Amino acid sequence: MSTKNNLSSVERIKKASNGLRGTLKESLQDDITGALREDDQSLIKFHGLYQQDDRDRREERNNKKLEWLYSYMIRLRLPGGFLTSEQWIGLHHIAGEHSTGTIKITTRQTVQLHGILKSQIKPTIQSFNTFQLDSIAACGDVNRNVTCSAHPKESAIHEEVFAYADKLSVMALPKTRAYYDIWLDEEKITDKKDLSAVAEEDPLYQDRYLPRKFKIGIVIPPNNDIDVLTNDVGLIAIIEKGKLAGFNIAAGGGLSATHGNEHTYPRLATLLGFVAGEENVLKAVYEIMTIQRDFGNRSDRKLARLKYTIDKLGVPAFKVELEKRCGFKLEETRSYSFTSRKDHYGWKQNHEGNWYYTVFVENGRVLDDEKAPLKTALYEIATMGKANFRFTGNQNVILADIAEADKETVNKSLQQFGILKHTNDAGALRKNAMACVAFNTCPLALAEAQRYLPTLISKLEPVLEKYHLQNDEIVLRMTGCPNGCGRSPAAEIGLIGTAYGEYNLHIGGDRVGERLNSKYKDSLTEEQILQTLDEVFAIYSKERSDKETFGDFAHRKWIVNQHV
Amino acid sequence: MLAEERLKQLHDIINTSTKDELIWIKGYLSGLMKDDYINSNGHVTASANGNGHAATTAVKKITLAFGTETGNSKKLAAQLAAIAKKKGVNAKLTDLSQYRLAELPKEDYFFVVISTQGEGEPPIPAKKFYDHIHENELALANIKYSVLALGDTSYPLFCKTGEEVDARFEKFGAKRVIPLQRCDVDYEEDALEWFEKVIVTVTADAKSVAVAPPVIAHSVSKKATAKKHYNGTILTNIDLNDRGSNKQTYHIEIATEELIEYEPGDAIGIFPKNRFDVVEKIIAISGVDANAEVVTSKSTASVRELLTKNLNICYLLTSAVKKYAAIIQQEIPDTRMDLVDLLRIYPVKNAGQFIEVVKILSPIAPRLYSIASAPAVQENDVHIIVARNRFLSQDEQKFGLCSDFLGDQPAGTAISFYVHKNRAFRLPSPEKDIIMIGPGTGIAPMRSFLIERDATGATGRNWLFFGEQHFITDFLYQTEIQNYVQTGVLNKLDLAFSRDQPEKIYVQHRMLEKAAELYQWIKSGAFICISGTKDPMGKDVENVLLHIIAEQGKKSAEEAKEYLEQLKEDGRYEKDVY
Ligand code: SRM
Ligand SMILES: Cc1cc2nc3c(=O)[nH]c(=O)nc-3n(C[C@H](O)[C@H](O)[C@H](O)COP(=O)(O)OP(=O)(O)OC[C@H]3O[C@@H](n4cnc5c(N)ncnc54)[C@H](O)[C@@H]3O)c2cc1C
Ligand SMILES: Cc1cc2nc3c(=O)[nH]c(=O)nc-3n(C[C@H](O)[C@H](O)[C@H](O)COP(=O)(O)O)c2cc1C
Ligand code: SF4
Repeated sequence: MSTKNNLSSVERIKKASNGLRGTLKESLQDDITGALREDDQSLIKFHGLYQQDDRDRREERNNKKLEWLYSYMIRLRLPGGFLTSEQWIGLHHIAGEHSTGTIKITTRQTVQLHGILKSQIKPTIQSFNTFQLDSIAACGDVNRNVTCSAHPKESAIHEEVFAYADKLSVMALPKTRAYYDIWLDEEKITDKKDLSAVAEEDPLYQDRYLPRKFKIGIVIPPNNDIDVLTNDVGLIAIIEKGKLAGFNIAAGGGLSATHGNEHTYPRLATLLGFVAGEENVLKAVYEIMTIQRDFGNRSDRKLARLKYTIDKLGVPAFKVELEKRCGFKLEETRSYSFTSRKDHYGWKQNHEGNWYYTVFVENGRVLDDEKAPLKTALYEIATMGKANFRFTGNQNVILADIAEADKETVNKSLQQFGILKHTNDAGALRKNAMACVAFNTCPLALAEAQRYLPTLISKLEPVLEKYHLQNDEIVLRMTGCPNGCGRSPAAEIGLIGTAYGEYNLHIGGDRVGERLNSKYKDSLTEEQILQTLDEVFAIYSKERSDKETFGDFAHRKWIVNQHV
Repeated sequence: MLAEERLKQLHDIINTSTKDELIWIKGYLSGLMKDDYINSNGHVTASANGNGHAATTAVKKITLAFGTETGNSKKLAAQLAAIAKKKGVNAKLTDLSQYRLAELPKEDYFFVVISTQGEGEPPIPAKKFYDHIHENELALANIKYSVLALGDTSYPLFCKTGEEVDARFEKFGAKRVIPLQRCDVDYEEDALEWFEKVIVTVTADAKSVAVAPPVIAHSVSKKATAKKHYNGTILTNIDLNDRGSNKQTYHIEIATEELIEYEPGDAIGIFPKNRFDVVEKIIAISGVDANAEVVTSKSTASVRELLTKNLNICYLLTSAVKKYAAIIQQEIPDTRMDLVDLLRIYPVKNAGQFIEVVKILSPIAPRLYSIASAPAVQENDVHIIVARNRFLSQDEQKFGLCSDFLGDQPAGTAISFYVHKNRAFRLPSPEKDIIMIGPGTGIAPMRSFLIERDATGATGRNWLFFGEQHFITDFLYQTEIQNYVQTGVLNKLDLAFSRDQPEKIYVQHRMLEKAAELYQWIKSGAFICISGTKDPMGKDVENVLLHIIAEQGKKSAEEAKEYLEQLKEDGRYEKDVY
């Protein structure tokens, strides 16, 4: 256990926060600044918001004797990533009224709005509340948005599995009423589950919360669309004879590393065993959280994720502690396999005959731009009330649960707004790529990501064509720093920002998310990236064995060999 | 020259005199030395009744009326009244804004101290008086009068109002006992000299001594004007408003090689240059040879240079338009207009006619900008805040000459300026509290005050009310103000961003919210300073102040007015509004 006297400052802030309230109310009143008081900047994360500033504008504002252009990003808590069409309409209007207007679908199946001014936070949260949407614990040292395989077509038991996302999310909510208190003026949250009934006492989080963020993902094999092993806890649905038998539980995933800090590393979750039955599944996850709460490192936040706790204890000892806390033993892991990790674009039908259209949303940014009037299209479709909205872990949206009779109407709209063409025409590399937010809002960004990747891909496409690789579904991911929000360490090609305009090139991850990539080249400029990939693709196209993915080939050719 | 004993007497007097008294003596003596008062023996005629002896003669009553905008005339008149009293003359001091016009014909001795404002306009408080004497034909043959005109030679219409008042009284048959005295900004000496003559005349009259006939010719101060022009260089010129703002407000730092003599509260005067494109257009339309030399009353230069640097071509006064009409011999309705438009609509016949036009144009008037820096920290530079003035003219977006000109000047540009003393807008002593109400560019002198108070460790508390349109784009000096709050230099801060919510919120609304505390501060001796636009801000703020005083002090509207008047009297209520 971490030593008490050496706690990180966030630990002090949490403990002294009076149930995550801190001086948030006072901070909101400070009209001399768009920022919050320092401690409140940590606390507001637990309410699903981040204080940010427009990094493009810092220098100019400095010169003008103006403070940085502070604003807030809000991230919704959306277990499994589901919105009704009414909720989408609400989101559309709230985005227009209070934020930059762009709706950002995240790599964890939820949405973010950026650029909300301090004075607009309360109106924003209150508006969301009228649509039964909240942002509780979407950030902070608590459980984050629970992800779940997105496409109902994946299996007849999707609905049953999907329900777990919500159950886990509710189980892991902080019990404090601070959110209602500060943002909703003590109104009862109009959530169907009446979360307000719970008392302030918090047996799970106590007054310390977790040492660090915590992530749970649920996957239905064989498509690993949510990258289950990159979560602190990954649940892998085991389907036997068409029924949900239970879940394999994996723990200790996490992708971040810090440049120059060798104690930090990305790690995929380790399979611990199999658990059946809802009660036991929830219990096992709960106790993994209590172990992390009690054993996690509270002095060095860089080493505080569950992955380090597990490696510190050792997997066997961790499992013993878990079983002790659960009061039952984990069963032997059941077999499963992943064959893909992607979104199924276009029209698909599920077992009940409902239709699903997966829209390609480049890097999750829903806006009207020269490529497509995506925001308007989605809004128009939402106003028809014929589709639900499901977000994928690859930053796309599925127009879901469309009745056979309505398919044509929706399709016409998609056609009209050019969304069909937009989705069809995107090349394989682009469709399977991801980039994190990075500039201009992410304070941790070292290099561009979502604003830049589209251009880089346009420059890579001719290179791929040169080697007839344009239809290969190579997974390319870019992040503006090694935190890996776009899960770049778990890609066949990872571009990880080191400085403005420079990226480390990682290769050799597998296609389905069971092997991380490794660093191949340091700090490449665009020109060097293009050149290096040109060379690498040339060799791959010549030397690959039948159906060998780029990731597997690269791993064999350059990564393993490097170490021999 | 003097016998030892008399020299000793003189020294005794000098050594026991205060500075003010010495200035008075100097003025007194130079007044006496004027030819009119020296008799054929070379003796000063006034010597018998000049000083202490006056008290023994009959007390004479005079009215000393002042018309002031920025307080100079008032201060001066009060000083003169005090001197009069010492000299045994009972001077009734009255503000022209309060003057009962019906009394005028009953006056005996009527002396006016009045400044000129705007573009040769009377001070606003004296407007009623000014209009009265211009709109009525009065019979004032019984009145003996003289006018002391305050002005500034930087302006084209130097001491215009004083001249007009003087002329009207003459027209009404009043007897000018002392010639009109026009004063530049360093008016003290000239004023004392003028007033000495007033005293001499009045007391002489009391003793039935015939008064020498007054010199009719207007005397203009002969001494070299003391106004110093500094040659500076623009160090910084930044638009403080962020992208997306409706405004452009430039923070300009001007550095000089030498020390700049100024105090917090002062302004600087700057002469703008006319816009290059407009000058070229005028030259093109008029067909004049731009290099032709023209001799005007003030300078000789090429047409292009005169039009660029010397002469006002913007929004000509109606009187100038009339002169233009006379030159081109065409009817032009009473209006104000840019020269370029006049030329377009009412063309000159030929280039020669245009040269005549050039000769009737007035010089460019300086524009004042409140200094935003403080001598305690910035001795070799002054900072100003210039709001780009914008207005619609025939549905066309136009910009004010000087503010637009200044906004365009990049760092490194040479620029000359002078310091305009703002005697009625001063920091109180260090231990006094100040309430500063300075929205928009009104923040300029408040920044100066804060810098000065911070640097000198003044102990008085500081409360700032600031407002603008939008928090994000228009919070002038936000980071500096934040620092002042953090370091405790600013004890209180209230902000009003008018357009960040559906209903407009201005500084006066914030004052109302803080009414009780504000009144508490005022009651315990705080000074109130207002700076910024006169209309509507200055007026609205003053009304709210009156309201607060009435409500919090449980006073009638009348009592509140008197209370504020008293604060003004005590120098505790100061305005720098424009
Ligand atoms: C929006 C999103 C990226 C995207 O383009 O979709 C994102 C954006 C940010 N992440 Fe992330 N992360 C996002 C998924 C991830 C993932 C991927 C995942 O979970 O599947 C990871 C890697 C997995 C992991 O957790 O290890 C991830 C690892 C981090 C880290 C590194 C954590 C660590 O263990 O050290 C940070 C930095 C931190 O927490 O100190 C971070 C921090 C951030 C912040 C909040 C920056 C900050 O701390 O101030 C970024 C906000 C940028 C902005 O302006 O919006 N984000 N972040 C993703 C939102 C997910 C969600 O809805 O909850
Ligand atoms: C004591 C004092 C302190 C001051 N302090 C500051 C300060 O700190 N900051 C600051 O920004 N200002 C300050 N001012 C105001 C400043 O001096 C100028 O008045 C201001 O900058 C406008 O000048 P300008 O040359 O830009 O506009 P001008 O060209 O003088 O125009 C002024 C106005 O005249 C009218 N006008 C001009 N041309 C036309 C036309 N062709 N047709 C119709 N109307 C026309 C318009 O209404 C226009 O808004 C101060 C003034 C005073 C007296
Ligand atoms: C905005 C402004 C305009 C002025 N215009 C003139 C002018 O046209 N002619 C002039 O002689 N003096 C002008 N002056 C100078 C004043 O008359 C001078 O400062 C005087 O001392 C002010 O006296 P007061 O404080 O009693 O009003 C102007 C001053 C200001 C501030
Ligand atoms: S990976 Fe880094 S740059 Fe990108 S969003 Fe996450 S923290 Fe920001």
